[in-house]
Amino acid sequence: MSAVVSTVRLHLNRRAATFIVPLTIAGTVALISVLIALIFWRSGSQPGSEGWIYGSQSNPGIVYALLGFLGYLGVSTVATTFPFALTLGATRRAFVAGTLIWDAMMAAYIAVIFAILTAIEIATNHWFVGFYIFDIYVLGGADMPRLLLIVFLGVLTTLTIGGVFAAGWVRFGALGPQLIAVGVVLALAIAAITLVPQAAAIATAFQLWWLAAASVTVIILAAIGTWLLLRPAIVR
Amino acid sequence: MTNAVDIRSISRSFGRTRALEDITLSVPDGSICGLFGRNGAGKTTIMSILAGQDRPTSGNAKVFGEHPFENSSTLSKISFVRDNQRYPDDYRLHHVLRIAPRFAPNWSVDVAAELVDGLRIPAKIPIKKFSRGQLSSIAIVMGLASRAPLTLLDEPYLGLDITARALFHDLLLRDYSAHPRTVILSTHLIEESEALFDRVIIIDRGRVRVDCERDEASNLAFTISGPADAVDKLSTNRRVLLTHAAGGLRSATITGEASDELVLQARTLGATISSASLPELVAAYGADAPESTLIKKGARA
Repeated sequence: MSAVVSTVRLHLNRRAATFIVPLTIAGTVALISVLIALIFWRSGSQPGSEGWIYGSQSNPGIVYALLGFLGYLGVSTVATTFPFALTLGATRRAFVAGTLIWDAMMAAYIAVIFAILTAIEIATNHWFVGFYIFDIYVLGGADMPRLLLIVFLGVLTTLTIGGVFAAGWVRFGALGPQLIAVGVVLALAIAAITLVPQAAAIATAFQLWWLAAASVTVIILAAIGTWLLLRPAIVR
Repeated sequence: MTNAVDIRSISRSFGRTRALEDITLSVPDGSICGLFGRNGAGKTTIMSILAGQDRPTSGNAKVFGEHPFENSSTLSKISFVRDNQRYPDDYRLHHVLRIAPRFAPNWSVDVAAELVDGLRIPAKIPIKKFSRGQLSSIAIVMGLASRAPLTLLDEPYLGLDITARALFHDLLLRDYSAHPRTVILSTHLIEESEALFDRVIIIDRGRVRVDCERDEASNLAFTISGPADAVDKLSTNRRVLLTHAAGGLRSATITGEASDELVLQARTLGATISSASLPELVAAYGADAPESTLIKKGARA
């Protein structure tokens, strides 16, 4: 157990990447969103109008910007930290378990940050001037429980997917991520070919919790894949 | 005396390449062992297996009586920083100094501080921008400050200036005296570090060529130097590991001990015989196609 805790601490050792960079990215994207909103304002759009609110809440810029960084972080936590973890004396088992725990901590941290910022946004009536940055549709439209779940699962999914691609690279070199990508595309294609005839029925019956279930499935598969790839991996 | 390291008939293949071929060796607990051989001889592969970072294709490798692979308690007793060690993105010196003690129960803050200061390791530059010597320095900090019961030092001198090497030697011996442990050190600067070792292992092409106490190593081979004709005559029917020729002069490194009779014969022919030094021995065992220099097949000297 202590080896797992040490691995978590190894990841937390990158304090800036863990705690500061997500905030910086969120802040930067918020600023850019505000600047864009100002452009629209100056071009005649009225804050608070129906069109303004719909347009602002449909902008998922904050999500896209953060996903890019989280994808990198998921890759680097395995690709560059795994060799160093072995050097320090971590077992592969402890590394995979510790990395998954850290992924979950990171997801919880960002979810809480988003919840706080959303709460401030709502409390200030959207930063006093009607700017919608966190109160957006893709994050649940200010529904706090939904926001927490979306951000937590979204971040955890992104980190674990990054991790499994990096594990493929550690195990098989450049061929590893390519093989995983081909496998994923094939699986999605087969699923699409199988389900397309029922697409209309599926769309009618669609429930949001399906996305959560899919996300949990991906997280579990990615974690198992990471373990299977790293278990026999050697560092040279 | 118990052994810190026990390797029995291990082989390791990477695809079609045989990196290790039926290696059997042991390292007594508390010794400082030199691991020598040419580039690609298999030194790092042996260390990697001992550190649980790799597994042999066949055979057994034990550290303190346990298989190290995925063995948390054994791994906590081992320190191994490879010569091409990778560090997490954006790591600086303080990141290493902060996390390494978490994994090394015997970590010495004082030793780390002395080395960081003495080796002048920059604190503000990201490790990925370090020079070769600075990377070696940080590896030395991790290796020595961990005070691991089995410390594996893989080419610790790469790129280090002479002052830094002297500091490393001094601190290794000083700290080893106060906190005995087993050290396996691979290096090509054999002459400079020879005095550190109480045991030497020479490997070549994945096979152990020499595994003995350092003092015994001087009896393993001798060198005949002198006129080419004399050296050829004296080498007849002996196993020659390596020859050098310059003009009419020649030297031959030959396995075994030179008999008194051979020494007298050499004197008569104008040649000299001396024990092979450790660097000569390592060079001789690493020489290409030693069999081609075998002067007439016959019994070893």
